[in-house]
Amino acid sequence: MYTYIVALVLGVFFGFALNKAGLTRYTKIVNQFRLTDMAVLKFMMTALVVTMLGVYPLRALGLITFPTVPATYILGNVVGGLVFGVGMALAGFCPGTCVAGAGEGKLDYIVPGLLGFLVGAILYGLTYQWVFPPIASVANYGSVVIPDLWNVNPILAVIVFACMALVLFYLIDRMGMHRKQA
Amino acid sequence: MNWFMKQLRKEEWSPYAAGALLGIVGILTVVLSNKLLGASGGFENIAGLFGKAIAPAAFNNTYFNFVMPAGITYSVILLVGIFFGGMLGAFSSGTFKLRTMDDAQWKTAYGSQPWKRWAMLFFGAILLEYAAGIAGGCTSGLAISGGMLLAPAAFLFIGGMFASGILTALVVYGKRF
Repeated sequence: MYTYIVALVLGVFFGFALNKAGLTRYTKIVNQFRLTDMAVLKFMMTALVVTMLGVYPLRALGLITFPTVPATYILGNVVGGLVFGVGMALAGFCPGTCVAGAGEGKLDYIVPGLLGFLVGAILYGLTYQWVFPPIASVANYGSVVIPDLWNVNPILAVIVFACMALVLFYLIDRMGMHRKQA
Repeated sequence: MNWFMKQLRKEEWSPYAAGALLGIVGILTVVLSNKLLGASGGFENIAGLFGKAIAPAAFNNTYFNFVMPAGITYSVILLVGIFFGGMLGAFSSGTFKLRTMDDAQWKTAYGSQPWKRWAMLFFGAILLEYAAGIAGGCTSGLAISGGMLLAPAAFLFIGGMFASGILTALVVYGKRF
């Protein structure tokens, strides 16, 4: 029961953040891919940096352990990403933003959106045993994080990542490194 | 307090502010439940539930029994939360409304026929969910949740997603890209 309540509350804040970032709109998503609005990238990178600045020090202090880290199997991660990008640029949503947008009252997201995700889930689940194992067996590193893989100090890795994000934000906001909307 | 209420009523925040909020949610997810955020996984659990109710034999496979077990899981409750979070956001800015075809730019890209939008969203959603299955997660469960733990998988996924997303937008928009 406790975990369900936690999940519900965290989900609400997650959906709320997606709504306030404007990511529940087609325009916002597709304009990231047109490189005229960099909000998606800024939103994602900020979230990554804030979370890793929290969880890595907490782990170093021995206060938490990491949950199962998403597995790295290069072919599947890349091919999945490539197909995902096509769907995201065509439809202008992803699973999370579709659900949050559905909550905003968008019937286009409630009906064909949610139904499509369910149909996709059924198709994947029914074909999984033939599709997944061959793809996942190529260059499979398992549940691994970059600091362990490259044998660098995790806190240093987080600091480097945070600095890279700040440079990226500087280039976008101050140097205007994005396309201007026509 | 006035400032706080003003921010709450704003329709759109700076992506940095909204991203920081998500970052805090990310930390709390790990600390409070030792789990990760995600969205596509919940659909798999629900799909298994429906499937087992309608065609138990077909859905009695490794995937729906063990990989993504059918049922009301943590991920499903998370999806319910995301739905109400979107609703709360819309109410806070007074933008909640049952509506269709509410995006002006969509019409310049695809025209104004609602059936086209529904067909495209349906097809796009199938593609997204299937791709998320292959990749091991979607924007939430892999790109954000994996990225925040510095999993290489997340950055491979993000690279692929941006490469093909930009190409697709280029094809859809052509000269207007």
